[in-house]
Amino acid sequence: MSTTMNSRRGPIDRIYGLLRSIPVGVLWLIVIVWSVPSVSLFLNSWRSRDAQRNSGWWTIKPGDLTIDNYDYIFNASAAGTIGNSLINSMAIAIPATIIPIAIATFAAYGFAWIDFKGRKTLFIATVSLLAIPLQVALIPLLQTYVNGAHLTLPFIDKTVTIIPNLGLVNTSTAIWLTHTGFALPFAIFLLHNYISSLPKDVFEAARIDGADHFTIFWRLVLPLSVPVLAAFAIFQFLWTWNDFLIANTMAGTNPDARPTTIFVATLAGDFGTNEHLLPAAAFVQAFVPLVVFFAMQRYFVRGLLAGSVKG
Amino acid sequence: MYFFIILAVLVSGGIWIGANLLFNQLRNNFTRFRFLAWGLLGFIGGVLLSGNRLTVGSTSDGGALLRIAAWAWLPLCISLVTGTIGALLALVTSPRTRLLIAGVGLGVTGGIAGSLIIDSSQPNLSIPSLVIATIIGGAIGVGIQTLRKRGPSDGALLGATAGWLIGAWAIPDLGNGSVAWSAIALGVPAAAIGVRSALGAIPDETERNNRDQRSRSVIFLGPALLFIFAALVVPTVRTLYLSLLDRKSESFVWLDNYISIFKDPKALNLSEWQAIFGSRLFWAALICFVAFIILAIRARQQTGHLVELGSASSGPLIAGVVFLAFAVFTALRGTLINNLWWVLAVTLLSTSLGLAIAVLADGVRLERVAKSVIFMPMAISLVGASVVWRFMYIARDSSKSQTGVINALWVGLGRLSTGSGLPTLIFGVVVLAILLALLIVAVRALASGNPTRSVVPLITAGLLGWFAWRYWGITGDGVGGFRFNGSGQQVAAPIYFVQEPPFNNFWLMVVLIWIQTGFAMVILSAAIKAVPTELLEAARVDGATTSQIFWKVTLPQISTTIGVVVTTLIVLVMKVFDIVKVMTNGTLGTEVLANNMYREAFSNFNTGVGAALAGLIFFSVLPVMFINIRRMQREG
Repeated sequence: MSTTMNSRRGPIDRIYGLLRSIPVGVLWLIVIVWSVPSVSLFLNSWRSRDAQRNSGWWTIKPGDLTIDNYDYIFNASAAGTIGNSLINSMAIAIPATIIPIAIATFAAYGFAWIDFKGRKTLFIATVSLLAIPLQVALIPLLQTYVNGAHLTLPFIDKTVTIIPNLGLVNTSTAIWLTHTGFALPFAIFLLHNYISSLPKDVFEAARIDGADHFTIFWRLVLPLSVPVLAAFAIFQFLWTWNDFLIANTMAGTNPDARPTTIFVATLAGDFGTNEHLLPAAAFVQAFVPLVVFFAMQRYFVRGLLAGSVKG
Repeated sequence: MYFFIILAVLVSGGIWIGANLLFNQLRNNFTRFRFLAWGLLGFIGGVLLSGNRLTVGSTSDGGALLRIAAWAWLPLCISLVTGTIGALLALVTSPRTRLLIAGVGLGVTGGIAGSLIIDSSQPNLSIPSLVIATIIGGAIGVGIQTLRKRGPSDGALLGATAGWLIGAWAIPDLGNGSVAWSAIALGVPAAAIGVRSALGAIPDETERNNRDQRSRSVIFLGPALLFIFAALVVPTVRTLYLSLLDRKSESFVWLDNYISIFKDPKALNLSEWQAIFGSRLFWAALICFVAFIILAIRARQQTGHLVELGSASSGPLIAGVVFLAFAVFTALRGTLINNLWWVLAVTLLSTSLGLAIAVLADGVRLERVAKSVIFMPMAISLVGASVVWRFMYIARDSSKSQTGVINALWVGLGRLSTGSGLPTLIFGVVVLAILLALLIVAVRALASGNPTRSVVPLITAGLLGWFAWRYWGITGDGVGGFRFNGSGQQVAAPIYFVQEPPFNNFWLMVVLIWIQTGFAMVILSAAIKAVPTELLEAARVDGATTSQIFWKVTLPQISTTIGVVVTTLIVLVMKVFDIVKVMTNGTLGTEVLANNMYREAFSNFNTGVGAALAGLIFFSVLPVMFINIRRMQREG
């Protein structure tokens, strides 16, 4: 098509040729528009309070740069330092990633390769729980963390304590326990898809050689499942690191247990006074996920493609 | 605190591995397995007694070591006895000897353990309740076994044992009994369990294999099912139950919470419905529908269909529906309307923008860089994204310079449009030149008998023409962020994105669109690349244009994936919380269901309404999730 156009170049054809490059131009325009918000936040985080208040980030000059905002949020913030909340985020995100992976891999293996009655029904029931939105479980879970769980038996009128009050409210443990429960249906679904597609011969050969399920799981399934485990781990890590709702519900009032998302949201809540610290805090909060994102984009995309069903 | 949690996690892991190692013995060495398993059961039984400080000696004070020894001796002794009995049962085949070993052995052990129970815990047995509980337990056992289509004797024995335990220990008061009674109360059920075990035969190879499979299914699935049950199933049922109770969960109000939500004008306010017809959006929708009718009649003459994918008539139809929906959503207010608006706007714009970018970027140089930039917001938290956009949306009053990008551009455009210098002239001429080029393309397309190719240039030219009309001040004073104050002076007039209802809702939606477009793009881009090249080649050979190939070949091929993206986004948007919480906390007419639920449940402590709002979210995503899960099952 382009050769026929080049053969009879008139001014109108030239305009037409120019217009043909518009789609690529539009693409890069969108790319620029998409990156402006992040860039402006990043640049603002290096500007002083007065500079942020009086002029836009595009007036930035190399001489204006200051690390005061970062210095302040790490050392002397009124809302506690961000360093503490980073540790809390780690204390939430690491167990909330590792523990569901372990439990879900057991279950996925069980659903895929252990024969028992009602396996299919149980699996469908488990996966169907993906339909439950987070909000539905919050109130009873918080009540359990506050009081424990007690059941009053009918007729003989005695109260049985099912879960004692462990004092979990306002701790990071409450947050990652909740994450663990909510991650499981999706994790089981994702890992089961992968583990059940492993070649059957391998398992049969191992069984004939006398290997038990524990050995097969440990020596065969875990090493073979590393890619899908990595995909889920990244997905779950980002999800828990960036979560705000569960953390705010379970530990929102305890400054010692709250993760960075709550730190940033609290800073954003007190209008005006600390606004100049927000860009730096938001950037610090986003730093870990961004590193994970750029380092392991391939796995992240894979987790996301599969994760498009998470409830 | 952390020490205990780490300890608990490690112990759980140890128990899991230990259970596996234990059941490995089931196939390898049955006698050893029986010894370990029965010993363990005996130990647990002993711990239940002495761990609860029910037995002699277990209450003694002293050093930590002494206290542990004081309560550990009994479980250890019991476990040795039961372990030995278990191992013997695996070896001895004569039925009478088996009965003697298990029945008498366990009965005596239970009796001794019962006689060791301290005075204050001995049950004050009442024969009638014991008999009744035993009979009821036995009957339930028989019933269950009948339902499972098995012989009744097994169920009767186990059910009666359980009934005896309840009747002897749970119903009567503890503390006024005698040693003999508590020995009988514990010895009889222990003997019954022993008899039950002795009656069974020693399992052969296949039976042991079956037991291995069954036990592994429990070991491997147990932890997950336990967590899911405790963190998902029970809380969900309880929330639905709480939503039928009043604000302090004290008495039933049935559906009153739900009704009050729908009656609350803050949640659903239809009183301004006449404003729909006054809004500019409504008239824009009307114009689109007129254009659709004209184009559709033409299309019918040519192709026999009023509207097709990518036909000239489909554009105005979709635009008209969107304009009409926005006209409705800006006139009718309330939490529920806001949620619907969020779902429509974010789902539609994210999906279509994501699709557009996926198509535009396909095969372009530096494709991966472009896609990474669009995709990057996915890695940022919603809280972080809200902060990012807060700085984009900053509006400062007219006396100060704007520090937010959008308002700076908007106010700058106003200055440019109303100014008279060289920049104003250059900008205006550039706009006119682009307009002219677009018109030429459109005319060329029309002249070559290809009207569909003129649609995009014509629409763009129309919008640009309207912009130029306003820019040059042919009607009005110009375009951009300015106004005239009382004394006729021109001052800057920024847009208060977050503060001005009802459109502040839309500006909050932009934040989520900014994030989710990357998600839609990644998934749709993968789908586009998976379209078989032979199909595209065949269409090209048949003389299809690029846009025809897209609408008629690519789009139908990726329609399932579009469905995935749309359903995922609907579910996600229905639950939107963080953005609203951080940016407005639901004030200024931006409330949504999830934030409302959070406030009712955790700030106002109105558990009933909070649970009802959660239930409402649940019921509204249920159909969509149902579709999603059905699809997953088809694929998986």
